Amino acid sequence: MLIVDQLKKGDRPLQILAGTILASMAMLLAGLWYVQILSVQRYRNNLQVQSFRTVRVPAVRGKILDRNRTPLAENRPSYNLNLFLEELRPLFRAEYANRVRKDYLAAHPGLTNVLRGDVPALERQARYRVVSNLLFTVSSSLNDPRLLIEKHFHNHYDSQRSLPYPLLRDLSATQVAAFTERSSHLPSLDLDVQPTRAYPQKSLAAHLLGHLQRDDAPDSDEDIPAKFLLPDYVGVSGIEAFLDKELRGQAGVRSVLVNSMAYRQREEMLVEPQPGKNVVLTIDYFIQQATERALGGAESHARGAAVVMDVRTGDILAMASTPTFDPSVFLGGPIPPEEWERLNDSKLLPQFNNAAYGQYPAGSTFKIVDALAGLEAGELDPEEIYQSKGYYQLNGRVRPIRDTAGEGEFNFEKAFYLSSNPYFIEHALRIGPEKLVEMGLRFRLGERTGLPTRQEAAGYFPPAGRLRSLDGSPWTAGDTANLAIGQGDIKVTPLQMVCMVAAVANGGTLLQPRLVAQVEPQENPTPENITTFPARVVRGDLRVSKRSLDILTKAMLADVENPVGGGRRAAVPNFRVCGKTGTAQTPTKEYVVWFVSYAPYENPRYAVAVVITGGSSGGGTCAPIAREIYQAIVKRESMAQPPRPSLAANP
Amino acid sequence: MFEPCLQHKEQRIQWLMIAAIAALAVIGTTFIYSATAANEGAKALAWYKQEYFKQIIFYTIGFGLAAAVCLVEYNQIARWSLVGYWLSILLLIAVFVVGTKIYGAQRWIKIGPFQFQPSEFAKLAFVIAMANFLSRPADELRLPGVFAKALAMTVLPFALILKEPDLGSALVLIPMTLGMMFVAGAPASYLRRLFACAGIVIALILADIMFAPPQWRLPLADYQRDRLLVYFGKDFAPRNATPAELAQARQRQQKKSYNIEQALISVGSGGLTGKGWRQGTQNALGYLPRAVAHNDFIFSVIAEEKGFLGSVTVLGLYTVILFTGIRIAGQARDRLGRLLAVGIVTMLFSHVFINIGMNIRMMPVTGIPLPLLSYGGTSVICSLVAVGILHNIHIHHRS
Repeated sequence: MLIVDQLKKGDRPLQILAGTILASMAMLLAGLWYVQILSVQRYRNNLQVQSFRTVRVPAVRGKILDRNRTPLAENRPSYNLNLFLEELRPLFRAEYANRVRKDYLAAHPGLTNVLRGDVPALERQARYRVVSNLLFTVSSSLNDPRLLIEKHFHNHYDSQRSLPYPLLRDLSATQVAAFTERSSHLPSLDLDVQPTRAYPQKSLAAHLLGHLQRDDAPDSDEDIPAKFLLPDYVGVSGIEAFLDKELRGQAGVRSVLVNSMAYRQREEMLVEPQPGKNVVLTIDYFIQQATERALGGAESHARGAAVVMDVRTGDILAMASTPTFDPSVFLGGPIPPEEWERLNDSKLLPQFNNAAYGQYPAGSTFKIVDALAGLEAGELDPEEIYQSKGYYQLNGRVRPIRDTAGEGEFNFEKAFYLSSNPYFIEHALRIGPEKLVEMGLRFRLGERTGLPTRQEAAGYFPPAGRLRSLDGSPWTAGDTANLAIGQGDIKVTPLQMVCMVAAVANGGTLLQPRLVAQVEPQENPTPENITTFPARVVRGDLRVSKRSLDILTKAMLADVENPVGGGRRAAVPNFRVCGKTGTAQTPTKEYVVWFVSYAPYENPRYAVAVVITGGSSGGGTCAPIAREIYQAIVKRESMAQPPRPSLAANP
Repeated sequence: MFEPCLQHKEQRIQWLMIAAIAALAVIGTTFIYSATAANEGAKALAWYKQEYFKQIIFYTIGFGLAAAVCLVEYNQIARWSLVGYWLSILLLIAVFVVGTKIYGAQRWIKIGPFQFQPSEFAKLAFVIAMANFLSRPADELRLPGVFAKALAMTVLPFALILKEPDLGSALVLIPMTLGMMFVAGAPASYLRRLFACAGIVIALILADIMFAPPQWRLPLADYQRDRLLVYFGKDFAPRNATPAELAQARQRQQKKSYNIEQALISVGSGGLTGKGWRQGTQNALGYLPRAVAHNDFIFSVIAEEKGFLGSVTVLGLYTVILFTGIRIAGQARDRLGRLLAVGIVTMLFSHVFINIGMNIRMMPVTGIPLPLLSYGGTSVICSLVAVGILHNIHIHHRS
């Protein structure tokens, strides 16, 4: 070293001193190297942990639209009043010094200063008083005086101090206006706009849309090390649940820099939230509305469902279930007890989608299957006259099977539109249960159709192979007779029935019902980022001759057009409806009444299935509902903007 | 042909040392600005009331006094050393009578708007007096009486400063005494014994603090005990503590280790190049306590914002000053100059080593300033006067 060398030779003390200092400086250098270079990651992590809080920011939820992009579920701006705690610190201090401390000293005459142990409680009190006064002042000026919930505030302060405190939620438009007018002198308050789920059509298609629920612990599979979670919602039923991932989008991450007092210093968005995608349904708003109105017009306390399907594509144009509910009741705070009771009524089951989840005996609508099975097997000659006694007496059975068609001579068509039970039982026995069940299976009864709403039942239909009745006992002629009139070992959903008539209508192709047309980004949808669900997905072929179908459809037409036909009340002028009524009895001695149909006869486009529990008869209760629906369809078709045949053609 | 020229220049002014000092002054001002800028209370003050500006004033006064000191030969100054020494002792006593208590320690005397820290002045006065005393022929130092006198000169301010309490400033006197005695040529046997004694005293103090039952403890302030416990990573709670006591002790420990933890995070997170001037979050967000960021922990602020490179720069500047000082000691005209230079060098060195060491947990936390960088009038002015004396010795070095 230059300086050490220059020291006079022999000046040992100074050399030793210089050496000591040099060694010490080297020690410091080594120490600094160790701390700043070797351990830098550790200290940076420590810094990160103590001074940053990450906040999960939910993305804007996608909309649910009808086939013409009428919003069925969307987001409305909700105005919340947030309080920035860090800006209140001077007020906290002032309150402490001027009020709380003085009160304390007045209450403890012996003391000149606050006891150390009492300080935190007093500071708490000061904070509560400041915020509580502020809330009262602000809320009173907005004509909605509120009191601060002490526990809620303290919890927020203790665990989420760096986040603004939500003072008032969901202000009305007048309140927003009143606040903006007067906010100039309240800098610590901020009007924050949050998108909130809204169902602009109220309960419309509620069972399809489903509903959301406050989600306090969003998916753990998200790779967000968030310490704080902002309120988010998760779909628990319907499309909201089934396509929750797509609708919800990707939550963002905000990083909040906090100071040593855990107050917010500044913040930045680390990851921008990716808005959820829009879901376009095949539902037609107008037809859905008409369907719900028609269904709601049935007997009060009716429970039932109606489904409208495009027989060419399998598109569900409307699907309604009654009674229904307003999905927005699940969004707010706790649901009032009476509302909760109504939603969970054990008999009416408003949250239950009868159209896909309700399982009913098919009743006489099953005679469609009987007819096709008989015609195909050659066991049913449409011109043959059958002499009916007005009831059917099976060998060995005590009670005869009753019949509303009365006694007399029946050919096929008359037996069909008057729904003669003896005629079809007789023929079913001739056909034999194997062939009858086989025809039912061609309609894929007893299987889910794959409706994406999380509420779909499979129903029940005897499986192929060795026949057994539902309770496991060996199959008997009685079981065949029961099945022929849609009773006993059969449970179907309205959705399965609409698929059935649609297949008959379109010439024998069983189509997959389509509810979701496409999923597309909220902004800038391009062909690359749109997921389209194809229309006209074939589930099966009926493999029946045109002749059999012609005979059947003529009989279905007669069911509506014949003056004494069971479905005569479904007739619509200039729109020839083909249908079949049905009535069945449930174990609870309630009537399940049906009307399954399609129209128009010449060029079938729409299939409609209606079921009501507790109705009087299929023709009396359900056929008028179907007529109302068909009338709406006719009206819809005549509108200037006809329903677009394919959604993919949209820009 | 170069050397005479170089030597000629060297005879007058130590430019390198002055440049290093000036650089430290600039760094000091800059980072005191950075350290206090985040403080909203301080920001509200007028610019001339801000601490960085006050520090500029202190530097100016210090440079002026240092220049003034160079005008008088150091031998002349040394004649007044005893007066200075006793004056400083008087002031140290006065602290107990009229002193101001800040953070539990009585270290300041208020004169009008100014605060003055007698212990800083005492250190300087002690160096001059000690150098003057030891400048007698080395043979005299063999006399036990003379040696004892020298020891007594150390013990008096040591005890007074310790009483304030200001353990750090008191302990700094030990290496200063040892260094000067060593260079003065005090007999090695005495020094060995002295060294051993100092070691034993320190060991005893530490043992007492950490292991002795309460009634046997030295009357040290609690915070000093705590600081040492933190340094040695010992549990605060006595061994047979109840769970409640234990929890309380833990909490206290966390609170006490807070400063040093935060200083370490500041220094460590600076990395190689630092976060940039005024970009340090530790200080801005108040994790590094505002009360100490600009004085005792100014090094943390520099290290966080300028990284390892900044730390090395500071270390290098001090090394330049210290080694120039040693060289001045080597070329001093007489024993007085040599000892005075050594005293000043050891004084500066002890401060630098303890202060920077404390920022990286090599040393326990003791509230001593980093000379020429930390905010504080007394420290800055005394350090500059000390460097002025160093330069004085250089000006009058043997030709």
